[in-house]
Amino acid sequence: MPDDDVLPFDLAGCLDRVRQRDQQAARELVDHLYPLVIRIVRSHLPRRVQEEDLAQEVFLKMFTRLAQYQGAVPFPHWVSRIAVTTCIDHLRAQKRRPEFRWADLSETEAEVLDAVMTNTNDVPANDAMAAHELVHKLLGELKPDDQLVIRLLDLEQKTIAEIAELTGWNQSLIKVRAFRARRKLQKLFQELQRKERS
Amino acid sequence: MMPQKSRDPWSRLTAAAREVRDERDTTAPYGFATRVAALAMAQESRISSVFDRFALRALGVASLLALGSVALNYNAVSMPPAASAVASVEQLELAVPTDDAVAIVLDFAD
Repeated sequence: MPDDDVLPFDLAGCLDRVRQRDQQAARELVDHLYPLVIRIVRSHLPRRVQEEDLAQEVFLKMFTRLAQYQGAVPFPHWVSRIAVTTCIDHLRAQKRRPEFRWADLSETEAEVLDAVMTNTNDVPANDAMAAHELVHKLLGELKPDDQLVIRLLDLEQKTIAEIAELTGWNQSLIKVRAFRARRKLQKLFQELQRKERS
Repeated sequence: MMPQKSRDPWSRLTAAAREVRDERDTTAPYGFATRVAALAMAQESRISSVFDRFALRALGVASLLALGSVALNYNAVSMPPAASAVASVEQLELAVPTDDAVAIVLDFAD
């Protein structure tokens, strides 16, 4: 049951106050947008980067660019885009992950990978966590931009139009990246199967 | 859930991965908003103070240049308008090329 005492957040009013350099309003804005930003940061967090540091960077960019916000899109969408592009910048900057090896997988992850490659059944529900970890390790083998597209498409189930809005890339480019990434994943599965047999 | 046998390994893996819900807290850690707001305001004031300093310096340099150019061209500026008009006609006459045959003939005619 919703709490009737909680007033809806006055985003427009808060933005006006932030523009007048009201620090209290800036704090309220950060608190209001933190759940949105941290969800994006957590799902695209590069290795060896602290989520809080990345979230802070997103908010500082938001405040610096606030004068550029014209209200063409809802403010949370505008902030989401800043968060996604900041994550892409960090993903691009990170060093390439070493080659994917069976030896790097935990026992359950190896079993799940073996199961999806050798039979056509769905992954059992109790192996969901291992599948989740495995997916993230496999995504690490892709180029940062392709990684982001696949994450948004296959894990967050966003549409091409939504991804275009979030990243600022055109829809054809997103489709090309998705195609390229899926082909790379397919090749990776084939290689893993070959290595397992040998 | 019914097994879907036609899907490739990646699709089955991601389908399972989506079942994992992120239960972590999404509220800002204590002090985070205060720190970020303070940093943002400090950043803004730093940018504006740099702008102010450069704007004042630019104004000073522009004023000096204006004064310098007035001092250098003091004669032209201080000359009365009629005198400056005569001077400019003389300058024009001096500027007429002497190798122009028509101009030489007209000079003789005068």
